[in-house]
Amino acid sequence: MAFEWEELLQEEVLDPGILSCQGCGSTIAIRQVLKALGKNTIITVPACCWTIIDGPFPYHSLKIPFFHTAFETAAAAATGIRAGLNTRGYKDTNVLAWAGDGGTFDIGLQALSGVAESNEDILYICYDNEAYMNTGIQRSGATPYKAWTTTTPYESPNKRPKKNIVEIMRAHKIPYIATATVAFPLDLYKKVKKAKELKGTRFIHVLAPCPPGWRMDSELTIKVSRLAVDTKLFPLYEVEDGEKLTINYYPKEIPIEEYFKLQGRFRHLEEEDIKEIQEMINTYFEKLLEEHKRTHGTIDNIKRGVYK
Amino acid sequence: MAERIRYKNIDEIPDVALSTGTTRVLKTGSWRNVKPVIENKAAPCLKACPLGTKIPHYFYWIIEKDLEKAADVLLERNPFPAITGRVCPAFCQIGCNRKRFDERISIRELERYVGDYIIKRGYKIKELPSDTGKRIAVIGSGPAGMAVAYFLRRYGHSVTIFERESKPGGVLRYGIPSYRLPKDILDKEFEMLLNMGIKIETNKELGKDVYLDELRQKFDAVFIGIGAWVEKRMRMEGEENLLSGVHFLKDVNEGKETSKFKGKKVAVIGAGNVAMDVVRTLKRIGAEPCILYRRTEKEMPALEEEREKAKADGIPFHFLTLPIKAENRNGKILLTNQKMKLGEPDKSGRRRPIPIEGSEFQEEYDFVIKAIGEEADRKILPEEYLGEDGWPYADKKTGATKVEGVFAGGDFIQGPSTVVEAEAWAQRAARSIDRFLKGEDINVKEIPPRTVSFMLIRTEYFDKAPAIHPQELSVEERIKSFEEEVKTFSEEMALKEAKRCFSCGYCNSCGNCYVYCPDMSILWKDGKPVVDYDFCKGCGVCASECPRGIIQMVSEI
Repeated sequence: MAFEWEELLQEEVLDPGILSCQGCGSTIAIRQVLKALGKNTIITVPACCWTIIDGPFPYHSLKIPFFHTAFETAAAAATGIRAGLNTRGYKDTNVLAWAGDGGTFDIGLQALSGVAESNEDILYICYDNEAYMNTGIQRSGATPYKAWTTTTPYESPNKRPKKNIVEIMRAHKIPYIATATVAFPLDLYKKVKKAKELKGTRFIHVLAPCPPGWRMDSELTIKVSRLAVDTKLFPLYEVEDGEKLTINYYPKEIPIEEYFKLQGRFRHLEEEDIKEIQEMINTYFEKLLEEHKRTHGTIDNIKRGVYK
Repeated sequence: MAERIRYKNIDEIPDVALSTGTTRVLKTGSWRNVKPVIENKAAPCLKACPLGTKIPHYFYWIIEKDLEKAADVLLERNPFPAITGRVCPAFCQIGCNRKRFDERISIRELERYVGDYIIKRGYKIKELPSDTGKRIAVIGSGPAGMAVAYFLRRYGHSVTIFERESKPGGVLRYGIPSYRLPKDILDKEFEMLLNMGIKIETNKELGKDVYLDELRQKFDAVFIGIGAWVEKRMRMEGEENLLSGVHFLKDVNEGKETSKFKGKKVAVIGAGNVAMDVVRTLKRIGAEPCILYRRTEKEMPALEEEREKAKADGIPFHFLTLPIKAENRNGKILLTNQKMKLGEPDKSGRRRPIPIEGSEFQEEYDFVIKAIGEEADRKILPEEYLGEDGWPYADKKTGATKVEGVFAGGDFIQGPSTVVEAEAWAQRAARSIDRFLKGEDINVKEIPPRTVSFMLIRTEYFDKAPAIHPQELSVEERIKSFEEEVKTFSEEMALKEAKRCFSCGYCNSCGNCYVYCPDMSILWKDGKPVVDYDFCKGCGVCASECPRGIIQMVSEI
């Protein structure tokens, strides 16, 4: 059998010694992302976990130029860097905006929307850990329906459904949007590779489990990430030009309860809550299937079985 | 190497926050209180195999298409894989973890595939240690004797085998019919063993041509593995009119005339593996055999596989039937049978047969063969070798008899058993003999390896796939000849089947731990994962995502 991840066996673009928590999903994600982009990349990071993870002054982990930006400006700063590089003739250099869900769904949305609307040539990747984890697990626009955070305690869990960032980005008709998660590293890698070859604003939404914030054991990161996909909660799909939708992998349709069971932030859920959420999930997945069918004429071409 | 940055004065500090050093100076490994340990463990198959064959390990080399290495791994524990790959009851397959996912792996067929490769390429043991100058006499060249000679040779000792018959092999040659184990496979396998420098003297029977005392003087150690060839007595009237199952098989295997059985009605008493071999052999030489057994199908001691094949061959089984008298009527045998019913379970856990009064009936046969089990010849050894029960005794763990320098094993000690169990006994005995010759304590305390249970298998990394089964002759074809029934896997089949293996407890370098590590702390060195404890924070993702239970989190406090 030997090594099953040929593409991913490359020199790391980041050094160890990073300050992420044990089992951090976002660091697993950035490893694959940077392997796909290579060292000829400049990264902008707004306020988020990664401002800390990258290391304390005067040390940092990434072996590429790394710009800390203000919370709302990851996309705008990236656009500026792109323009500067273009002017100086560095057309091959990739510009990546790497932002958390706070800096994407909430605070950075205006800048992101502006960039997407004018189809600036950057790759924007949101690693979504579903709350403001870095500052102490406050609710964000990405926090799931009925989930616990420190600002939405068990007595009054999050009342609003998670903002659908992919639909927002689709409305901008940008060339490429994809969802990915850390349990499927090759899928993430290939999506970044594909995005790298395209021009214009490209957006990838990466679900990155956060063991402390999700109230779970650190070794469960991958398991939970995989369950998020297999329960249809977080389907893996791509959207090209805002229209053509492709589901990459057909989930095993595991009941959502299995996903909730592993995480303390959902432990207060009652049976009817779970039922309600399951229905929401089913409805959305049905919608995706329909769109896949509209694009491809069939749903039989969706990969089943072991997916990486 | 990464160094800490120390600014000597304020001018050295950059005007904007500009990080120039690498985080390699931050040894985040100090956050950890549990650490991952990468260590191969025992698969259920490996643990179930009496020989401890490293099954997932040689499968790895089959998949890599490096059969040389597969052969080396296999031969480390098993002297004749082409033989066990054919006749082994495959204890390994029973507990296969894959069984709980879809179907078990055909482990035996893969062993046979590699075994046949070894025969084809010729036998090469990587390197034999230099000669120790110690000489060992082995009596009997069956599975136990041959295996003990093999292992002793690998320890560097010189071995001489004394065999009663004219050819080596014991039960492999004279017991197992050639439709299960062709004679040319046996010859080739043994030829290679003898090429290792094992000497053999045939037509030398213990107590007639060679004597134990004489061997003890001439050699540094002696191993007795003469098998169990004495047919048990039934204690029925007219037992002398019956033929012996093992002797019948021996005659057929020696190529003696069998035409007297052709078209004849033959009853075979017993339902063990020998009985199955006897009826199936009779069928092939044109007789009309049937089985008489005093219990029912459920209590049959024969292996399920053998039983099913005998049934498929069209052999009638008469259950709950006990012959109580055999009379010779003009060359034919008149058998008086009694019908039985099942009572309470006995010592063996099987329900005891109880005669039904007045249910006797008579039936005439041309021949009656008894195959109710064999036992060792208890008269062959002097008193000091016998245990309290009056049977030849040797210690199960070391193979040592009560007499110093004399070891024994195989069916001779444990009673009729399987080839692989005789080999396993030989493996232990060879180690004891080696230690004995070096003057070490022969009692070795063994720590059983940790087993990987199905719970530790991450099934999400495997696709369901049906098991590959070997090609077989159809029933119509096979009952006409002694041609081998089951065929060896083709390369394509072997690859497919080996790839199904979960490789429980054996790291096949899949790379999950490397890819999923959030801290770049699993390094990939020479195709193997290595933990970088300087930076590993002990999150446990690698242990949780290892598909085969190799990584374990160990507390450091």
